[in-house]
Amino acid sequence: MNNNSAITEDLKLKFGEDQFIEQQTHDHFPTLWVSSKKIVDVLSYLKNEIDKPYKMLYDLTAIDERARAKRENQPGSDFTVVYHLLSFDRNDDIRLKVALKNDSPSIPSITKVWKNADWYERETFDMFGINFDGHSHLERILMPLTWEGHPLRKEHPARATEMGPFQLPEDKQEAEQKALQFHPEQWGLTRKSENSEFMFLNLGPQHPGTHGVIRFVLQLDGEEILDIVPDIGYHHRGAEKMAERQSWHTFIPYTDRIDYLGGVINNLAYVLTVEKLADIKIPDRAKVIRILMSEFFRISSHLVWYGTFAQDVGMLSPVFYMFSDREKVFDIVAAVCGDRMHPNWFRIGGVAQDLPKGWEKIVKEFVDYFPSKLKEYENLVLKNRIFKARTVGIGVYNRDEAVEWGVTGPGLRATGYEWDFRKKRPYSGYDQFEFDIPTAQNGDCYDRSLVRVEEMRQSLRIIEQCLNNMPEGPYKSDSPKATPPLKEYTMHDIETLITHFLSASWGPVISPGEAFHGIEATKGNNGYYLISDGSTSSYRTRIRTPSFPHIQMVPYISKGYTVADLLSILGSIDFVLADIDR
Amino acid sequence: MKWWLTKSIDPSVPLSGNSSFEETIKQSIILSRLQDLLAWGRKNSMWPFNFGLSCCYVEMATSITSRYDISRFGAEVIRGTPREADIMIIAGTVFIKMAPIIKRLYEQMMEPRWVISMGSCSNSGGMYDIYSVVQGVDKFMPVDMYVPGCPPRPDAFMEGLVLLREAVGKEKRPLSWVVGPQGVTKAEKISMKELKREERMKMTEIKSPDEI
Repeated sequence: MNNNSAITEDLKLKFGEDQFIEQQTHDHFPTLWVSSKKIVDVLSYLKNEIDKPYKMLYDLTAIDERARAKRENQPGSDFTVVYHLLSFDRNDDIRLKVALKNDSPSIPSITKVWKNADWYERETFDMFGINFDGHSHLERILMPLTWEGHPLRKEHPARATEMGPFQLPEDKQEAEQKALQFHPEQWGLTRKSENSEFMFLNLGPQHPGTHGVIRFVLQLDGEEILDIVPDIGYHHRGAEKMAERQSWHTFIPYTDRIDYLGGVINNLAYVLTVEKLADIKIPDRAKVIRILMSEFFRISSHLVWYGTFAQDVGMLSPVFYMFSDREKVFDIVAAVCGDRMHPNWFRIGGVAQDLPKGWEKIVKEFVDYFPSKLKEYENLVLKNRIFKARTVGIGVYNRDEAVEWGVTGPGLRATGYEWDFRKKRPYSGYDQFEFDIPTAQNGDCYDRSLVRVEEMRQSLRIIEQCLNNMPEGPYKSDSPKATPPLKEYTMHDIETLITHFLSASWGPVISPGEAFHGIEATKGNNGYYLISDGSTSSYRTRIRTPSFPHIQMVPYISKGYTVADLLSILGSIDFVLADIDR
Repeated sequence: MKWWLTKSIDPSVPLSGNSSFEETIKQSIILSRLQDLLAWGRKNSMWPFNFGLSCCYVEMATSITSRYDISRFGAEVIRGTPREADIMIIAGTVFIKMAPIIKRLYEQMMEPRWVISMGSCSNSGGMYDIYSVVQGVDKFMPVDMYVPGCPPRPDAFMEGLVLLREAVGKEKRPLSWVVGPQGVTKAEKISMKELKREERMKMTEIKSPDEI
């Protein structure tokens, strides 16, 4: 708390008392309103000049405030741009907000301050129609170029069924295909140099090496990559808009499908934020169950990466071993949660149900079985000479570059930086567990692999501790906002029955406020920024996903390498398409 | 047409029978109609196009791996280009931005070609009734088999594939544009939901989720 006021005082001293309006939020991040004229100065001061700087642009988004009713002590605004910065030195965040008026608002771009602001500003333009003056290529990023309207504006229809039946006649097909044509000049790329003509190669949106629907346009001189223009948005499922119509409770299944390899880890980021907003205390058993299942999913996700990455660089057999072990993890997940990939198993206030009888046995079997397999795979993959030749010294970046581009998770730890939310800001009881944060030094494709492989061992350690120390007690909070409420509390009289009926059908009403909670997901920091206007569903849900900034960095780390190296780099980043486009 | 495989435990020698002329002919000649032979070939080597959209693709890929092993049904030859593939599996959400590309890829496949729609999103939009998602891939291209689930388990996908194989085996296609009736006669589409209803209704005791 003191820390918060210190930075606020610091800023006021530098820019003047009247430049800032403070806002209270449930996450206790210092939240300050700044005018659009001052925002660039304030941000570059926070990044470059201040003692213990805020080096990472963690997130940049906007809020359509026009329909929001409860905005006590906030300046009038139609659209609010939100900047979320992270300081590693302070282990603290700061949130800056800029109020914008009228229907086609403008704000100065901060791409000169942070390189990774580029895509965030394009996304905000695409979704809200906010112009960023001085942005070099302000164009739609998620929606097709032919799209009309800005989806996250409140007046934009949410449902496909509201927009008339989808049709794809010949002429539309042709027009859409034409819009997909790449014009190098638009991106400031030249078609030839003095010595040679460049080739422009389309990689994707349908390509086995990209692990999903994403498109990279490569500017090639022979085999060498000169530049890359990534084209994303082929996997945009409108999860943020979806949250505005689902209840707090019924949005949980949609979170499963954000990082679709991460399963319940996504649930965790979301329910923790809701619990922060609603101030719900979680019983210990529920916390440990959540950690247990999250770590299983970390292993399962890393196994998919392990196998497919080995395949990307030319090894055909490892994927069969890794997927067999993933099946073993899924056997446990299915026994506990009832489903494999998208268990939708965490609830606001706890988990869906208690662990089934006999869970210890299957978990124990896996804990005993897996370490020797990891050893085997290390010999099979990591020690393989060809694997090393394809990954060592490829796609290198250092810690400063990682921070500049917003890289978190194993990608950051591979640069020798021990940063993990589970240790630095323990949530959900991670402070009670003994585990190490694996790091590596070189920040290349190989080191990113080392970190992930070691992370599986650490996850296994955590699982073993969960197994040996599972606390007794309830699996769900007795808070009235826990959803669905416990059955014991109903069926007593008409009041309890009505309460249960309401919270099961409408879901809980969360009092107005804002909160963010970030967690260490499988691919990096995943976080939800939720705004409640005091109703049964969220007013605005912002999903901060790790893969979005990671993919933005690809052109920067791939220049000068060959096309084959690019596939190593893409594999080593370990992204999921839904985690980029949401 | 009848065919069989020898088992590994079967002795390769001595041969049974009396090696008469009649018997040798029987063992080395297949009598069938060309149409049936082609259908049999198509049915037993369905090469899928390596195409995936989202979560379902992971489960589809899982069906290729050891535990499920789709090669048992002759469909493990994953092709990177649509021109070499027989079957396209729409595994995942069909995005409006992706629709023109999916259609182009489908058009690039050679006849005869089949489409499996895998998962709720591709079947009907599923839980994503949202501005960026097409409410079912059949809005702009034909589908031969729908596999329900979100995502369907690899076993469910393989059941879809096996059912499609059967249908492909029964399909009638003209041998040339001058011989016989023209046009493709497809097998009748069946609803497994209806077929399995009786069996499902027999299930009165459902395992408790409290036990493994």
